[in-house]
Amino acid sequence: MKRLISVLCVLLALCWAPAAAAQHDHNAPGHVPHEAGPMRAAPWPKDLIELAEGLPVQDGGRVKPFHTFAGFSMLRLSGKRSLTTPAGDRLTPTEWMLDLLFFPDQAHTYEVFRVDDIAAVREFGGPTDGKQKRDRWSFNELAPHMTQLFERAQSYLAIDEKQRDTVQTQVVMLAHNVDEYVRVSRKTSFAQVKLPVGASAGLSQVFGGREQIHFSELIAKVDDLRKLQEEIDRDPARSGEQEPLNSLLQRAVDLVESSEALAMFPPITDATAKPAWLTPSDVLMGAFSGEGRAEEHLSMLGDLERAMEARGDMPAMTLALASFSGRAKQLADRRGEYEKVPLELVYYKSKLLDYSHYAFVLGFLLVAFLWLKPSSKLLYRATALSAVTAVACITATIVLRCVIRERPPVSTLYETLLFVTAVGTLSGLIMEWINKKKLALSAVVVLGTLGIFLANRYEALDKRDTMPELVAVLDTNFWLATHVTAITIGYSAGMLAALLANVYLISKLFGIKKDDPTHLKSLSRMTYGALAFGLIFSVVGTILGGIWANESWGRFWGWDPKENGALLICLSQIAILHLRMGGYLRDFGIAMATAFGGTVIAFSWFGVNLLGVGLHSYGFTSGIHTALWSYYIGQWGLMAICGVRHMIENARKEALEAQARPKEQFAPARAAGGRAG
Amino acid sequence: MKFIDAFVKGLSSIWLSITLVSLLALLTWLGTLEQVHTGLFEVQKKYFESLFLVHQVGPLPIPLPGATLVMAVLFVNLILGGILRMRKGASTYGILITHLGIAFLLVAGFVKAYFSVDGHLTLFEGERANTFESYHHWEIVVLEKLPDGKLREAVAPEGRFLKSEDGTRVVLDSAELPFQLEVTRFLPNCRVMPKGPMFEAPLPVIDGFFLRGEPKAKENEQNIAGAYVALLEPKTGVRREAILWGATSSPWTVEADGRTFGVELRRSQYLLPFVLRMDDFKKEDHPRMTMAKSFSSDVTVYEGSTSRPVKIEMNEPLRSQGLVLYQSSWGPSNARPGDRLFSTLAVVRNPADQYPLYACIVIAIGLLLHFGTKLRRYIRSEVREAA
Repeated sequence: MKRLISVLCVLLALCWAPAAAAQHDHNAPGHVPHEAGPMRAAPWPKDLIELAEGLPVQDGGRVKPFHTFAGFSMLRLSGKRSLTTPAGDRLTPTEWMLDLLFFPDQAHTYEVFRVDDIAAVREFGGPTDGKQKRDRWSFNELAPHMTQLFERAQSYLAIDEKQRDTVQTQVVMLAHNVDEYVRVSRKTSFAQVKLPVGASAGLSQVFGGREQIHFSELIAKVDDLRKLQEEIDRDPARSGEQEPLNSLLQRAVDLVESSEALAMFPPITDATAKPAWLTPSDVLMGAFSGEGRAEEHLSMLGDLERAMEARGDMPAMTLALASFSGRAKQLADRRGEYEKVPLELVYYKSKLLDYSHYAFVLGFLLVAFLWLKPSSKLLYRATALSAVTAVACITATIVLRCVIRERPPVSTLYETLLFVTAVGTLSGLIMEWINKKKLALSAVVVLGTLGIFLANRYEALDKRDTMPELVAVLDTNFWLATHVTAITIGYSAGMLAALLANVYLISKLFGIKKDDPTHLKSLSRMTYGALAFGLIFSVVGTILGGIWANESWGRFWGWDPKENGALLICLSQIAILHLRMGGYLRDFGIAMATAFGGTVIAFSWFGVNLLGVGLHSYGFTSGIHTALWSYYIGQWGLMAICGVRHMIENARKEALEAQARPKEQFAPARAAGGRAG
Repeated sequence: MKFIDAFVKGLSSIWLSITLVSLLALLTWLGTLEQVHTGLFEVQKKYFESLFLVHQVGPLPIPLPGATLVMAVLFVNLILGGILRMRKGASTYGILITHLGIAFLLVAGFVKAYFSVDGHLTLFEGERANTFESYHHWEIVVLEKLPDGKLREAVAPEGRFLKSEDGTRVVLDSAELPFQLEVTRFLPNCRVMPKGPMFEAPLPVIDGFFLRGEPKAKENEQNIAGAYVALLEPKTGVRREAILWGATSSPWTVEADGRTFGVELRRSQYLLPFVLRMDDFKKEDHPRMTMAKSFSSDVTVYEGSTSRPVKIEMNEPLRSQGLVLYQSSWGPSNARPGDRLFSTLAVVRNPADQYPLYACIVIAIGLLLHFGTKLRRYIRSEVREAA
């Protein structure tokens, strides 16, 4: 039996090597020969899609719905969450993933691999006819050039990530995506073909004289095969049977893919003893290594084989998948891993965040009209209603995420965007509720629209599960709840203050509501309020961060870039408040300084992660560079214009005063500046 | 008197506070950007642990005060202007409390900077130790094996011989030793090289070897120091020269006055008040991923005749007798399942360990009090206006 296992181990190790390269190299051990498979004639039935969407799978270290897995896979490959087939049908990620698993030859015609620069495709000799600079390619289009693609990618991998140019980065990413695609597609290849038993008396006896068997039937007969191996070992006359046995096992191994992605078989033991879910490859290995095989897993393999055989007959396929899904849910539930899966599906399918975004955008439009017609009570109420709805939706989004992951609201960079938007808009609503000047309300809809837009952009750039498992040091609810939440509220209030300050600057620049002296005054007071609110959380959050660092790394402060960023926020806010206190800055100066403070927050929030040094570079932030610099330059530009304008105005005012003043009288000494606001 | 008055007034002015806070912000910003090019340790020394520094903007040198100086002056400014001389009244209590908290936080920083010791303790599973080792500091030690089998150590911390970096001779002596040790040159980062026939060695060659100075590594822990030393016996007038290098595994052995000594350059070692045994190190990954879910070390702490098992893991250090031990690292990185692992614990002795927590609470109370009062007043006025 030892021999059997070692053969299996070697074979499995062999097919671990680049799956994609093997797919098209017909001599490679991983190659699965098959004729062109069937094409899907009808759209996927609704009940089957619903089944598939809620199927629990393990990916990225956690159990999640198939819907989430498919969504992020498609996002990673194509940059969006829907796909148009050559026939013109629009597919959801789940439909696409089902095609990839059950109708691979059809899925290979879909243009799903996005490349941002066509030069990257030219780099490895891929087809470029009829393609735009930024376009998508299908697997079939890339397939003939696979070897060159992987060779190029391999050579670029040797270059340090930061030194790679865009084309090199694109080549590496494309190769990575193709590899992942092929690995996922191979998760069901065991069900696509039958294994020829081969000419051997022993094998023929084991499988009852059948010429072809299913993969699951092979595993079901593991004990008999083990016996057969012993008999062959004992009886030299039967040595001729070794070759057919090896060849059968080799074919079985060729069919399975052992990569980490997409595990769909929950172990039958409890979750602490065996946290990792299984793939068909693990089921095969488990059976032959004597770990034992579970009847449930055999049945699940059988379900997939039946679903595959029923291709074309959608009701039969649905039935087979329903059986698979039922078993998977039951096993997962027994391990206590299923509970949150339906909720996560509800989270994604309810599209609460999208609704929040729509409501903010609607509010944004309404506010524009409101400023044209400020006296309209109806418009005011409509705007307020839409803002309240939006804030309620984003709050519900965050609450749902907390419940699903049993974590405080912020544990990733993506979640800071959601949380900052939610806290900022909620604080704005409260301000509006207190003073009803429409200013805070305007800030709320702008912040909300922008915040969710950025969150969506970030998700599309990062392309990874936004509710991931965390590295060891972050995996602590106490510190996530205290330090991270506090510091993020600090960001949020600071950004709200910066936004209000910008409203002040723009109002002043364009003379908006010039005749209403309370307009600028209210803005100024609200800016101050947000700043003060922000300071409390920035300071407390920063110190709490130090206390956490002291608990986990043994030092309170280490001048790490992220720590420095937090300190910069605190220092800038302290400086502004003291400048105000000392009378060095009046309303205009405070607005300028607070607007600048916004760029300090952006530097600390995202900018330091771009430096690529320090302990906090967990977020994947390439591509954010442009957005960040646009903000810096836009903000500083506006400040420069406002500053120049302010100086000119002051000079003019002084000149006027000088003219008006009787010549023989000296100018009275200026007041040293009292407390503003 | 007038001058002193003006001086105190200036020192306690809000204008000075704003300048200092801005300077600190500037230093923080520069020190952050500098880390892209220079290692954290060097940046810390230059910008944050210094009194003065020169920052280069292209070819333009800009002299700046170091963060230590800025914070020291800020502390005085805060005490004088923000606490002692500040107007006291119902509207300023919050601010007063906040300033006290900040002052306390600065105190914590100074205590940590001047009274703390840090290092690490690296043990394979099954090993035990009663010392820990510095990451950054070196010491020269003379070892003597006593008849009862114990080792006696005479230690010279690096503060006593660092000045020989430029070739200044430094003599180390102890009444216990029958000789003097002369350090003729100390190199903060160097390699031992054999002298070949085809080149001139830049430094003296001893027994066919010399020390080749290297530029300082970005991570200070990677630097390996070396020193040229000479042993002088006053009785006989014999002088013996040797090279000491920080990465050698055995000391230089010499006979003097009929006794045998070992001389060694090593990273500074500190005594633990207990013996620690590394029982087991565990690293757990997230399922089907190579991302770590948790690291933990099971250790046994022997204090006197008692012993107790302790689990040290991420975010859960061991605190005992003024020392804190943290899970810091592990290895070997290429270990296969079942291999014997080592675990590195960071060790810190910091009298101000818990001060920041107290400061944080004080500051939070102060700020909430101050801005809470302001908020209440603001809402009241808005409501009145609306009415």
